[in-house]
Amino acid sequence: MTETEKQIKITGKEKPKIGVYVCHCGINIAGVVDVFKLKDYALSLPDVVLAREYKFMCSDNGQSLIKDDIEAGLVNRVVVAACSPRMHEPTFRITCKEAGLNQFLFEQANIREHATWVNMNDSEGAYEIAQDHIRMAVAKARMLLPLEVQRVSVEPSCLIIGAGIAGMNSAIDLAKEGYKVYLVEKTPTIGGHMAQLDKTFPTMDCSACIITPRMVDVAREKNIELLTYSEVVDVAGYVGNFEVTIKKKPHYVDQEVCTGCGACVETCPVSVGNEFELGLAPRKAIYIPFPQAVPGEYTIDMENCIQCGICARPDICEPDAIRYDDKPEFLKVKVGTIIIATGWDPYDPTPLKQYGYGRYPNVITAFQMERLLSSYGPVLGKPVRPSDLKAPHSIAFLQCVGSRNFREGGNTYCSRVCCMYATKQARQYKEKHPESDVYIFYMDIRAFGRGYEEFYESAAENYGINYIRGRIAEVWEDKNQNIIIRAEDTLMQTPIELKVDMFVLSVGLEAVANAAEIASLLSVQRSADGFFMEAHPKLRPVDTLTDGIFIAGVAQGPKDIPDTVAQAKGAASSAAVLMAQGEVEIEPYYSVVLDQLCSGCRSCQSLCPFGAIDFDEFRKVAIVNPALCKGCGTCVSACPSGAMIQNHFADFQLNSIINVAVKQTSVENGAK
Amino acid sequence: MSENVDKYIKRKVYTSTNSRIANKFVEAGLEKMRACINCGTCSGSCPSGRRTAIRTRSIIRRALTGDESVLEDIDIWLCSTCYYCYERCPRDIPVTDMIIKLRNIAVEEGHILDSHFGLANNIFWTTGHGVPANGEANKKWQDLRESFGLPPLPPTVHMHPEAVKECQDLMRSVGFRKLMDNIEEKKAKEKAESEKEEGAEEKQK
Amino acid sequence: MNEKKDLKYGFFLGCVAPNRYPMIETSIRAVFEHLGAELFDLEGASCCPAPGVFRAFHIPTWLVIAARNITLAEELGVDIVTGCNGCYGTLRDAWYELEHEPELKKMVNEHLAKVGRKYMGNIEPKHVVQVLYQDMGIDYLRGFVKHKFKDLKVAVHYGCHIVKPSDKRPWGGEYECPTFLDEIVELTGAKSIDYKDKFMCCGAGGAVRTAVKEVSADFSREKLENIRDAGCDIIIDCCPFCHLQLDLGQLEANTIYKDMIIGKPYKIPVVYITQLLGLAFGIDPNRLGLVKNHDLKGVSPFIPIESFLEKVKDQLT
Repeated sequence: MTETEKQIKITGKEKPKIGVYVCHCGINIAGVVDVFKLKDYALSLPDVVLAREYKFMCSDNGQSLIKDDIEAGLVNRVVVAACSPRMHEPTFRITCKEAGLNQFLFEQANIREHATWVNMNDSEGAYEIAQDHIRMAVAKARMLLPLEVQRVSVEPSCLIIGAGIAGMNSAIDLAKEGYKVYLVEKTPTIGGHMAQLDKTFPTMDCSACIITPRMVDVAREKNIELLTYSEVVDVAGYVGNFEVTIKKKPHYVDQEVCTGCGACVETCPVSVGNEFELGLAPRKAIYIPFPQAVPGEYTIDMENCIQCGICARPDICEPDAIRYDDKPEFLKVKVGTIIIATGWDPYDPTPLKQYGYGRYPNVITAFQMERLLSSYGPVLGKPVRPSDLKAPHSIAFLQCVGSRNFREGGNTYCSRVCCMYATKQARQYKEKHPESDVYIFYMDIRAFGRGYEEFYESAAENYGINYIRGRIAEVWEDKNQNIIIRAEDTLMQTPIELKVDMFVLSVGLEAVANAAEIASLLSVQRSADGFFMEAHPKLRPVDTLTDGIFIAGVAQGPKDIPDTVAQAKGAASSAAVLMAQGEVEIEPYYSVVLDQLCSGCRSCQSLCPFGAIDFDEFRKVAIVNPALCKGCGTCVSACPSGAMIQNHFADFQLNSIINVAVKQTSVENGAK
Repeated sequence: MSENVDKYIKRKVYTSTNSRIANKFVEAGLEKMRACINCGTCSGSCPSGRRTAIRTRSIIRRALTGDESVLEDIDIWLCSTCYYCYERCPRDIPVTDMIIKLRNIAVEEGHILDSHFGLANNIFWTTGHGVPANGEANKKWQDLRESFGLPPLPPTVHMHPEAVKECQDLMRSVGFRKLMDNIEEKKAKEKAESEKEEGAEEKQK
Repeated sequence: MNEKKDLKYGFFLGCVAPNRYPMIETSIRAVFEHLGAELFDLEGASCCPAPGVFRAFHIPTWLVIAARNITLAEELGVDIVTGCNGCYGTLRDAWYELEHEPELKKMVNEHLAKVGRKYMGNIEPKHVVQVLYQDMGIDYLRGFVKHKFKDLKVAVHYGCHIVKPSDKRPWGGEYECPTFLDEIVELTGAKSIDYKDKFMCCGAGGAVRTAVKEVSADFSREKLENIRDAGCDIIIDCCPFCHLQLDLGQLEANTIYKDMIIGKPYKIPVVYITQLLGLAFGIDPNRLGLVKNHDLKGVSPFIPIESFLEKVKDQLT
């Protein structure tokens, strides 16, 4: 007999002495129902030996009430009627444990979220529901059995998906703390979108200058295994013990042998659009994304390569690095924690036909403008307009393209960085062409961060950028491919028809295109806006609801570089907490096989979505792996012999709740 | 002295907003109007606005802040209902529907152009058509129809007096007749009052 | 060979087409007959009621009278087809609202019951162009083209209510750059030319023409300037009210805004889509309302279209 089974036997023989503690929760509960009447009602229920009420059960004093009663031997089951167990179940469980009572002999009745908060104007109704919840919790409490938490070890290694500024920062911090980091990046280079930026607001730091040292750090850190041009294809396991399969895509260039000399590029006959340059410049089929790429070896885009063999010639590639027969490699690693730092994609404004993107050549997105402004971009930092490659004398920016749009197909959220990046780009252009006219058409200017308001003020005062409050209605092209803009200057209450040489759309940020795939791979959730969902918007911004998996950077929602770096460090810290503890507790909601009833049919094994059930060939019974079991209950309902029991949610426990839930009971007037 | 006062002194400061008009929108299920952030996309799109004083955005703003003059202004009648504002509003406000509702409120309170009132009360009510072809005055149109091999009058209410009566019964039932009568009364009163004032001014001279 | 289609519709005439531009009515009748569609008269139909004016005055009246018109087709068990953007706007918007707001449907039927009618909501209001493009389809129409214009430049004017509000129209939400009317025009061999503000409103609707004619005249003046700038032979439209505004409106622009007009006064023939299609199908121009056979003064068309007929007579191959 195991320790647990012994405990269960002892407890099973005990008579339940239930203590019910009704929380006022300030006015959240007490403001809607009479908590004293609720307490009296609880006391009237069978097996309830005492009932108390208190203003805030979760407070030290509140918890002491429970502790004292347990230590005095007055109660051996605890029911707290208060908020949602999602809030304070852990709190009260620890209270019980510290007082010497098994923490799973505790049940929480949710009379706040499920009763008073949803019936704030219906005191009678709320009281009835609160009574029901207390009655049901007491019924379950009668049937509770003691359980032990499982402790699983946590691998001291972390998988970070995405090697942009967020992923890199998390990786460096964790590596320095001594943990092994697998940094996976789907493009051939690290650096992410920040590598595409020219200058950063509000300091006008050169983006490449501040990011390349980080990129070099990543390459140098011994604890970081850098896996570029790779993707995560499978994740199995659970917190502390994730089994990850990574696909290393074939470069078709031997990364160990390639010296990055670039001789192959000149001879390659195939030209395609350059993704890094957002279509503004070509690249060859054999390429490196940008000059400072890390790693600095080349890659062949096999979809467009015609395998002409020229780059493979010994007089071209001296180190003989070309490998047309390269194959993908699959790597299986075990990690304790995962950080999602997958970043963002820019919004594609083609559907907004009134802005002419895709139809008129002189309408570009701000990210394309960023490449034009970049000193290592297609025009080496001297922006020209696409139609005639002449420097525009006048430029107009439109804010909130694809953001703050409540129409179907639009993103309702504000993308947070566009007001500042447009101001930055406008200022940069004015610095290069002081005589030019630059306009920013906006609905609101959001200059929320440190130094931002000053940056905005200076843009108008010192650089003469024209801020016009009016969202552009439509544009069209004249005979010279200039762009004519129609808007209303709302502050002047006057319609405008403005001709400019070039029109820049300040497009917003969106979750990456394959976010749904990643979410399903990792079993994490996304919010309605498509970004990955944090466990709690205020208090747990870097955790997901899946233990052991964290999020950082724009993957969690649009934000600027300072916030991204802060969040990346936060995610690293949270992951480190788990790995430093070395061990994590898992709730014991797993299923248990009653050997004597198991017929060996294996239905459970075939149905288990988590592969948590094995079959003992010798004894011909099923065995559940408690660590892998997530407590979904599928096997319990499938078992034809009734041989599966779900810990803490056994049939007899659930039946007792159902029985009292539907029983008619007299309802005294507990309305306020 | 008073010339300069009239010329320069404009006391247009509002000390409170009035949600009377806004509440009518909420009651009609058009509370979306309150989501307007005055971005100006509607005015920017408006083909009427760039040749008249109508500012779509201002119309909504005035309705929200309770500027009653918006109901008496010709502005709300210069919208051609082209629906561009409705299609482009980033807050997804059905702007054109708002203007139509404002027009309804204005008419309810007696603010309607004489030409529109004539169209509703005389032409639409009596013939059932908005642009009629019956009667001696419209003979040339009947002749034109015949020249193309069509019967002089179309098979509409023009050829079915019982249908005209049916429409009138419906208009009475749904309150249109009453609305027209109220407006007629109001206009008659206003005319009488202004005639009285004119008479008084004449006497002063 | 084109497969026989089951095309039966209740023909909603409206006001402007039958009573001011009967050539539009005849051309629709001729073309639909030619295409094997059957048009049933809706006896006793009234004004739709016009969305710009009557909907603006009293929405419940507008809804009730519109529902009554729809019941005329429901009684015959056929969809309604109209050749007017305004009537289409009213009938379609009313149909959409009554389908989505059960309270409104109840209110409407309470009134209709008093005259022995009931609105069911089981037929769909359609536009002539919608029937041509969707119910029949471009391939079906192509089979009927007998003559093709060789050198005809057309300024296509869609108008507003056939495309907007786009959520209540059958064009998949497209309203910025629709192409369906251009496609039908180009079936005939004519070339649809691009011009500035092609999709701009004509200015007639929304009660503007009846409120201040000069304002709507300025709309059409601007449209005509853009059309003339781009160079075209005729204007094609699919709405009698737009047709009136662009036809009579040329005279109005020529007088009211004569100082603003660059060059000669406007004299561009305005042709309705089924008139053009009918010619390409080889239908007798008399049946399409293109031949003047009367001496009446002061009637439509106000801009003569003889020049157009002359031009295309030898063009039809």
